Amino acid sequence: MEFSKFFNSTIKLNIILIISFSISVNSFILFPNINNSFYVLFHLTFIYLIFYHYHYYLYLVALVYGILFDILLLNNMGAHIITFLSLLMLFVLLRKYLIRLNSFQIIFIYFITLIILLLFEQFLANLIHNYTFNISSIFNFILISLIIFIPTVFLFTKLDK
Amino acid sequence: MAPKFQIKVFQLSRFVKNFTIISVVTLSFLLVFFSKTDYYLVNGIKNLSSSVVIPITRFISAPVNVFSSFINEYNQFRSLKFENKILQEEIIRLKKWQTLAIQNSRENKVLKKLLNATDNNLTLVKTTSLINRNDTIYSKLINLNAGYEDNIKINMSAINERGLVGKVIDTTSNNSRVILLTDPNLSISVKSISDGIFSLLTGHGDGKYLVSSFVKENKMPRLGDIVVTSGTAQIFPVDLLVGKVTKVEKNRFFVLPFVDFKNIDYVQIVTSK
Repeated sequence: MEFSKFFNSTIKLNIILIISFSISVNSFILFPNINNSFYVLFHLTFIYLIFYHYHYYLYLVALVYGILFDILLLNNMGAHIITFLSLLMLFVLLRKYLIRLNSFQIIFIYFITLIILLLFEQFLANLIHNYTFNISSIFNFILISLIIFIPTVFLFTKLDK
Repeated sequence: MAPKFQIKVFQLSRFVKNFTIISVVTLSFLLVFFSKTDYYLVNGIKNLSSSVVIPITRFISAPVNVFSSFINEYNQFRSLKFENKILQEEIIRLKKWQTLAIQNSRENKVLKKLLNATDNNLTLVKTTSLINRNDTIYSKLINLNAGYEDNIKINMSAINERGLVGKVIDTTSNNSRVILLTDPNLSISVKSISDGIFSLLTGHGDGKYLVSSFVKENKMPRLGDIVVTSGTAQIFPVDLLVGKVTKVEKNRFFVLPFVDFKNIDYVQIVTSK
């Protein structure tokens, strides 16, 4: 009983965040889509945490994961830290408007945020570190997002209940 | 007295929260700003990530790794019979070549003695295996299980039996990180073997080909030409195999690297003599 109390939904979501981060930074040559899927899952979990479990500690989480993603995937800092922190600050600014939306509108905003986040990272990686703006990888991310979005939201709402 | 005390606590916690947010945001922007220079803190974070974070992420992702290697082995097992047949044919063919190679090698040694030439220009620093790789999303990086304790230094070249793999960009005591040739942020100076045309190659976005970013005097190499490192930039040793010209356009050409970047298990860290 005490054990299940300790594992509240925020901790479970943070565990998902750690697992998805670990898998997305270790390339599996035969299955590159595993990396991409967990990379998208990380972003989905992070947005969900911001939308439904907003807390000040998320700034620290954004900083740590942003640095680690930037170093491990880009070997330069910039794209991920800026994206994660911008998302957090944007959420604080727009929170009062988001509260007024119904569940379908929020789900739609959630999906759009995910796509914009992934695009913005690619754009910043291109702008700051000169990485090629790869259309095929963007389509791959969008396709994976479309596939895993509904099951993930379903899983997260189950966790929250 | 009590309400005053409560107000004070509330204000202090709010101040702490705001201070934390401002310091986190400031710190991140400072890190972004200093990441382009050799700043001590940034290098410390990079070292920490390769020596601490990578082993942890490997441990967490171990089940997926096991699953991936199981599927790989199953696929290999399925193609075993067909592969065996091909290998038997290849053994017969190679035996013929071996006889010829031994004859050529003897002849080569004699000629080298006559010309007073040295064998090669490379010094082997360390042969090392891969810890993990981060080459699916964004950059093309691999992590090796040898660092500056094994005399590996930044800018040393990584090769394997097929040719040039990449360049060392970070080292810690027991780990080092190599940027692969296919990364768009790595440039190498090369020359074609047949015409000696000098050019600069960078990784193409697709992660398979290298594309020329500069060609000296705009002379294009021929299709099928082999390109090797020119050694002019003094980063890579001279005459390391890079790849083959597969496509020539008006202002640029494409090179397919000899190294199969999907199958790198061991690399040798070398430097010029």
